[in-house]
Amino acid sequence: MNVRRIAAVASKEWRETMRDRMFLLLAFFMPAVWMIVFGYGLVLDVEDITFVVVDRDHSPLSRDYLYRFSQSRYFSFQGELASEREADVWLQSGKARAVILLPEKFQERLLSGQPANVQTLIDGTFPLRADITKGYVIAISGAFNEDLLADYLARTRGLSRDEAQRRTRPIALEVRYLYNEEVRSAWSTVPALVMFSLMVSSPLLTALGVVREKETGSIYNIYSATVSKLEFLIGKLLPYVMISAVNVVALWLMAVLLFAVPFKGSLPFFLATSVLFVLTSTGIGLAVSLLVRTQQAALIITVLVSTVPTIIFSGLIVPVSSLSQAAQFQAHLFPGMYYTNIVRGAFLKNVGPTVLWMDVLALGVYAGGLGAIGYRLFTKRPSA
Amino acid sequence: MSWTEDIEVRRMVVWWRRLAVMTRKELLQLFRDIPLMGFLVYSFTLSVYITGNGIQTQLRNAGLLVYDADRSVSSRELVSRFHLPYFRFDGELTHPDEGLLRLDRGRSMMVLDIPVRFHEALLAGEPTAVQLLVDTTNSPQGLSAAGYAARIVGQFGREVVSARNVLTGSSSTTVPMILSDHRVWFNQDQNETWFESVSHLLRMITVFAVLLPAAALVREKERGTVEQLLVSPLTPVQIMLPKVVAMTLVILGATAVALFGVMRPAFGVPMKGSLPLLFSLTALFIVATAGIGVFAATVTRNQAQVGMMTLLVVAPMLLLSGIFTPLETMPAWVRHLMAFSPLRYFIEITNGILLKGIGIELLWSQTLAMGVLGGSLFGFGMWRFRRQFE
Repeated sequence: MNVRRIAAVASKEWRETMRDRMFLLLAFFMPAVWMIVFGYGLVLDVEDITFVVVDRDHSPLSRDYLYRFSQSRYFSFQGELASEREADVWLQSGKARAVILLPEKFQERLLSGQPANVQTLIDGTFPLRADITKGYVIAISGAFNEDLLADYLARTRGLSRDEAQRRTRPIALEVRYLYNEEVRSAWSTVPALVMFSLMVSSPLLTALGVVREKETGSIYNIYSATVSKLEFLIGKLLPYVMISAVNVVALWLMAVLLFAVPFKGSLPFFLATSVLFVLTSTGIGLAVSLLVRTQQAALIITVLVSTVPTIIFSGLIVPVSSLSQAAQFQAHLFPGMYYTNIVRGAFLKNVGPTVLWMDVLALGVYAGGLGAIGYRLFTKRPSA
Repeated sequence: MSWTEDIEVRRMVVWWRRLAVMTRKELLQLFRDIPLMGFLVYSFTLSVYITGNGIQTQLRNAGLLVYDADRSVSSRELVSRFHLPYFRFDGELTHPDEGLLRLDRGRSMMVLDIPVRFHEALLAGEPTAVQLLVDTTNSPQGLSAAGYAARIVGQFGREVVSARNVLTGSSSTTVPMILSDHRVWFNQDQNETWFESVSHLLRMITVFAVLLPAAALVREKERGTVEQLLVSPLTPVQIMLPKVVAMTLVILGATAVALFGVMRPAFGVPMKGSLPLLFSLTALFIVATAGIGVFAATVTRNQAQVGMMTLLVVAPMLLLSGIFTPLETMPAWVRHLMAFSPLRYFIEITNGILLKGIGIELLWSQTLAMGVLGGSLFGFGMWRFRRQFE
């Protein structure tokens, strides 16, 4: 291997990149824009669930119950309906996501110490939203029940309000949140977005590198040159690894300064593993570029391979542990998942190589494997 | 028929023939790209299956570690209430400090810590507390797990109270409480495969609809073949429209394969509404989305640029249009921004037709929004494309 020949390929590639102003601008602009848009936009707390009400009781107690929904930030009151039939249309058109139905004699039954049935209809088209809505309804009803019971005990047994309240809740649950103590959505998404931005943008930098030369025919210069396969591939990759490495630093600064996410771990460890990760993500682009014949195919395949699995299988939102077997298998095939563990660990948990060595190893194996595939796929003696 | 009318008719025939010939050329070119076709097939079949089957956005398998200092009937009963599918029991700890180490490693998500004298306190009617440590590096999952835990502990507590009241004989049989009954409509079992496979299909349609025409247009520009076409008797419309028509046909075909080859047989996705309506609106969506690609193709000079330019726009569309997380979660500015994403309307249309079985009378506003948006995006792209060569 000759370092000067690598440098020659790299500097040719670098110059080509520098002269394409728009490409260069987008290469740095794209991850930063995503970081801002998703960092502020991808909030995961479900709020303002629209709901309508059919109240057949119209009593102070029924209004008290409904008031707990309308004043909660999780729900947004859309109006009161006369009948259940109207509610159908509201759910079907998507104007309301939930309908609460209160029966007649709601107050009468509760005050006389009997249970009362309340029905909630929930739009199930988005299962996550339906599940969260259900959770909120249960929580609000539960709190209402505890107050009801405490009032009832206080009235019938002559207990003090505090005593009655304590009796209704014998076990307290003390929850301590670790790593993201204030449970800020941004603290968990922003580190994962560092992964996302790098994983989606860097393969695109290299994806067209070789196939473009194949399409325009300039690859024949390489075929007939003294540069070896490995030298050529390294030279092709180098400028883009550098661009992505600059992006790593930029994204890290944005996470720490703009989004004020604490960085608890070791910076050298984070930077070293990030460079390893960038090597794998740019390597994916290069491998695709070697595999296909047209730029159009290279572009679309790279986007499919880098974007879609990264959104779904990298632990960005859905944790890998809750995927099905087949999906977990697919998750392990992409480098995003390992790097998500590393970034979250380094930012929030202050864990280093002793805990994360498996993930680092996986990235290393990945980079090596891509290198081997690239070496096999690239030939200076094309058959056709 | 007069002579001039005859000429008009012939002109029309020639115009349409040229369009058909160009469409055929585009289709051939697409089908001959083997790797691309391979990925198209994969994306609309296996990929839809794996994603539809694989994703659980609700809490599943959250690893729970237990430090039980009491080792009594009550503590064991409480622990047994944390079970699958929500919680996965990851073992008991011998020392309370071990929990933090295990959470650091990230394999388990929480530690339940039950104090000594838990059982005694419950029997005596004294207040007691259990502690839960939750890993919130993934905050929605952490919150959800804590919510489930609160429900379990609360329920267990209420049962202890009523059992004690029965034992002391001081309770009346009924208590005043709301029996909350939930009915989830349009998807009673909250079957996630329906939603996830539909979402994934829409993701795939979007990616292909933006990138295929964008890449095809830029390729002709880059290679200079577009100059050849422009000196031919073809109008710019006849050059661009066939690309869009060809790939709309291909994507519609792929959508049909995904719907009837994967989603209905494998997941039993209901198709309550009108399928012709679904396919016509899908075509409208594809054309609307293609407008983004056409526009990007006119402001860029090579494939690398157009790839980045389109992805810059497509990634936010995919993540924020309400197919990944509910629109309800998003800040107001995102919701306003997403008014410009055709996907935001199309998800409601698809779910409306497939799951709710509603027709155009309830979907006209979404359709109108998508049509206006698509029309202007496409029109603008077209205008830019023509202007480039004048």
